[in-house]
Amino acid sequence: MQSLLTQAPRFAARRLPNAARALSTTPARAQAVPTEKPVLMKEFKIYRWNPDEPEKKPTLQSYKIDLNQTGPMLLDALIKIKNEIDPTLTFRRSCREGICGSCAMNIDGQNTLACLCRIDRNTGKDTKVYPLPHMYIVKDLVPDLTLFYKQYKSIQPYLQNDNPPEKGEFIQSQEDRKKLDGLYECILCACCSTSCPSYWWNQDEYLGPATLMQAYRWIADSRDSYGAERKEKLQNEMSMYRCHTIFNCSRTCPKGLNPAAAIAKIKLELAAE
Amino acid sequence: MMSSKALGLSASLRAATFTPKILRNQAVLRNIVQRRTVQTTSYPASKATEILNQQRLRRPSSPHFTIYQPQLTWIPSIFNRITGVGLSVLLYGFSLAYLVAPGTFDSVHVVEFVAGLPDAVKLAGKTILAAPFAFHSLNGIRHLAWDMGKFMTVKGCYNTIYAVLGGTVASTLALVFYM
Amino acid sequence: MASALLVRSTIPRALVQRSALRSSAIQGRYRCPVSSIVSDPRCEIARHSTNDALYVPGGPVYKGTVNDPTTFPPASRAHGSYHWAFERILSASLIPMTAAAYVTSGSNYPIVDGLLGISLVMHSHIGFDSSLVDYVHKRKFPILGPLASWTLRATTVGVLVGVYQFNTNDIGLTELIAKVWTA
Repeated sequence: MQSLLTQAPRFAARRLPNAARALSTTPARAQAVPTEKPVLMKEFKIYRWNPDEPEKKPTLQSYKIDLNQTGPMLLDALIKIKNEIDPTLTFRRSCREGICGSCAMNIDGQNTLACLCRIDRNTGKDTKVYPLPHMYIVKDLVPDLTLFYKQYKSIQPYLQNDNPPEKGEFIQSQEDRKKLDGLYECILCACCSTSCPSYWWNQDEYLGPATLMQAYRWIADSRDSYGAERKEKLQNEMSMYRCHTIFNCSRTCPKGLNPAAAIAKIKLELAAE
Repeated sequence: MMSSKALGLSASLRAATFTPKILRNQAVLRNIVQRRTVQTTSYPASKATEILNQQRLRRPSSPHFTIYQPQLTWIPSIFNRITGVGLSVLLYGFSLAYLVAPGTFDSVHVVEFVAGLPDAVKLAGKTILAAPFAFHSLNGIRHLAWDMGKFMTVKGCYNTIYAVLGGTVASTLALVFYM
Repeated sequence: MASALLVRSTIPRALVQRSALRSSAIQGRYRCPVSSIVSDPRCEIARHSTNDALYVPGGPVYKGTVNDPTTFPPASRAHGSYHWAFERILSASLIPMTAAAYVTSGSNYPIVDGLLGISLVMHSHIGFDSSLVDYVHKRKFPILGPLASWTLRATTVGVLVGVYQFNTNDIGLTELIAKVWTA
């Protein structure tokens, strides 16, 4: 309070006459030219396919942008390209912070979320961006995820219990709740499933790591009483047993989850029955 | 104003307002409005699936193993299969050959044939047999450990593949030179 | 006819379906534009298309609507957990069996060698079969798939006989390998 009072007259004294203010709008120190960042051109090669010209084969299109005028993540680069160079470039994006799972794509050979993937600042090497592998492409970087969602629906991803508690909610011990950690965080971005060679060859019958991990999320839930039925569904050659523990799924998961371990646990539970 | 905008007619209406009187004639105006550059056809909602399926059939499949980064996850996995199939083909081939022509492929003839080969060929042959056998066996143990729930993390996956690769080199050398 | 059968047996269904569509569209130098397929009589395939008629395993058209879940094959433990567990037990037992066969090779215990031979053949058979299911499943290859599976089964039977003959009439697999190795 004291300091504020003593400072007030100084502010008044510094005030310039109106005419002078019109000429110099900002203090001198703010007028200093910002240190100009050098131009850092980086080449991006992006998979393109246009459904309006279906006879044209998919191609890689090259774009060059200045990394020092771009945000740090690959999604920033894509948005910059779309805004400033080529508005026809098509990709899915929403939250830009790794929680919606929309911008899943194959960047430099790895499936990940574009919003969580830092741009490789080595300008000597181009960055290649493909859609998720072995998926039917709607346009450019947009794959058709219909089957993926249909499969997710097939495992009945919701609580099933014929004897709900008479009053209140399901009670779960802390240990039982802990079993769901590392499972429930999945955002269904499909990075893992589309990184799985087994899913590439047999995706119409094999459920894939993402769906299988969610199947286990409900098998492992102490509040769900349909575990036996859920497991019985997987008792066939294709739905789960096409998993050969390749580990591409866990290696690529942008959320750091471990679908391979979840599938291994289902296999052990089925074998123990 | 809003409604004409929504219909997409504002441009032509505005043009009509500032044009000579003849052009503001109702008939002429209707001509301008009706001459649309985009042709549309109306379909019932039931056609949606059909149209979507025709689009789906044109969709390309995105590239997969040709663009996926070679990682110590799927590369050893496919080699596990290749080595297994290779060794099994050898077993199947020899057994069938013996079944068909036991006189030609009996142990005496086979050993005699191998003994007659030059040393370099023998060494190469032993390496070509020992390396896949060592890799497939050690990686098989790794898979069994995984199936029991051991090393089921990305770190575990990498540590064990280093061990398997190291073990493969060591066992191959041991099998080729000390057996 | 024969060539069509050959094509059908060696190319995945999805590719056959798509190439058929493409070639029929190209015939008469006409390609169906997406917007006019429904009314244009030149596009017969499109006219009669329903979901199920266009469905091909692994193809871009799916069974049912986007809101229908996928279905599961009929449950069978013989193809599920029993098969999995048997495969693991068999693989695991190969390790002590190989060691035992190596130790007893050349002695008068052909039983261990015979057991190893049969186990190896079964292990190989399961491995081959797994590859066939992965790459040439009959739902995708309606002719080549079953052909390959039955060829494999017949071959495995032949191989089992061959291994039995070699172990009873000759020196057995382990000793053969040992002798060839030091030859």
